[in-house]
Amino acid sequence: MIDAAPPSQPSLPALYREHRGWLETWLRRRMGNAWDAADLSQDTFLRILASAQPLADIREPRAYLLTVGKRLLSNFYQRRSLEQAYLEALAQLPEQHVPSPEQRWVLLETLQALDELLDGLKAPVRKAFLWSQLEGLGYAEISQRLGVCERSVKRYMAQAYEHCLLADLQ
Amino acid sequence: MTDHSPGLRDALRAAAGWLALLDSGGASEADLTRLEQWRASNALHEGAWQKALLLRQRFSALPGALAMATLDRPDAGRRALLKQALGVAALLPAAWLASRELPLDAWTADMRTAAGERRQLMLSDGTLVQLNTDSAVDIDAGRRRLTLLRGEVAVKVPGNLTLTLQVPYGQVVLGAGEVCARLLDQACRVSVLNGAARLQPLHGPALLLQAGQQASLQAAGVGPVTGLDEWRLGWREGVLRLDDRPLGELLHELRRYRPGVLRWAPELERLRVTGTFRLDDTDRVLALLAASLPLQVQTRTRYWVSLAARENRV
Repeated sequence: MIDAAPPSQPSLPALYREHRGWLETWLRRRMGNAWDAADLSQDTFLRILASAQPLADIREPRAYLLTVGKRLLSNFYQRRSLEQAYLEALAQLPEQHVPSPEQRWVLLETLQALDELLDGLKAPVRKAFLWSQLEGLGYAEISQRLGVCERSVKRYMAQAYEHCLLADLQ
Repeated sequence: MTDHSPGLRDALRAAAGWLALLDSGGASEADLTRLEQWRASNALHEGAWQKALLLRQRFSALPGALAMATLDRPDAGRRALLKQALGVAALLPAAWLASRELPLDAWTADMRTAAGERRQLMLSDGTLVQLNTDSAVDIDAGRRRLTLLRGEVAVKVPGNLTLTLQVPYGQVVLGAGEVCARLLDQACRVSVLNGAARLQPLHGPALLLQAGQQASLQAAGVGPVTGLDEWRLGWREGVLRLDDRPLGELLHELRRYRPGVLRWAPELERLRVTGTFRLDDTDRVLALLAASLPLQVQTRTRYWVSLAARENRV
């Protein structure tokens, strides 16, 4: 890495050198271990590297790092809870239904992607959508389970579809 | 900030509405005809519709029960964890740390680690001993003495206690503070992280080393005092952080953590490397290096790994 930029002009190597230690300490205090904190701080810088925002626009580097870092931290915990639920569910399966190691991995990745996609939906909307998509329940049954009218279920479904379809438009 | 037309957005919203209608099972012949017309009337509509069908396929391809258990897990757990992570200012050290810091009342035990293993031990007076990979130390309570037999140790002494660290080339006496000692060929490198330590070679005058300094303790004297080689001390937290260092340095360190043979082509040593590498999975570190540098990993067995230059970037 060559860093020829003067200190006044922010560059990623300079940002990394000046603030990585600080960010990692912040993360470590919240996560309780240095490995995950190191990973996540690395991810934070990678995210910034990949982002479209010019570095020169960043006036408060630490506030900016924290914003990105917090979001990644929240994703991290969401992923961890998903992994845990996944492992528990795998353990419940009868042996002949347990997917192969490769399938398990691909499936986990898929589930993580879908989990992120569904993130932000209100609980009843998410439930209605999952029951319909994964268990094939009809709106009548979903409306009974949720204690709402069928019209609401249809609205929930449209909301969930819309949320997912618009997700990658930003 | 998006260059997608509002038309596409509207089309996707409409497609979502159509899907919700179809799923209800209540769509009439007339509805289906209207859907056909809507799709045919505009390429954006048809595109949105295809995207909607793909979305539904992603869910229908999943094994239902497994996906349901995973995606419909209790929400409370997530929120609680999140709150804990973001809200509470100071968390206790993680459980894995606590489980390794067992108070040891019998100060007579030896401590050893295999390649790739690290251990730490909280002695009953609060002294923290961390043993790096492939290392061994004898602990003698009565004389407050540690003897480093092999490898590398870090010692953190609290309060107004003192401790003697015996090495083959002399001894290191430290009060409250933290010191790291690593046996090399014919010398012991001593780094003072906190406090101060007195280095006493077998022959020759002693030298007081301050926090932030390191020196090489040899039988015939103490080598030149320099600043800390910070990145080499990261093992205490399980990571090596390098900022634009030669790859050779990293590889020599990594080799200590692997039970088998790790070899590399000499020309690779000059490559520069920056990053944070976790010591608990050195296979992964090698894979990361191969992904970011022009080198490839050749694994004959788990215990015989060579790194070669990558001729052609694909």
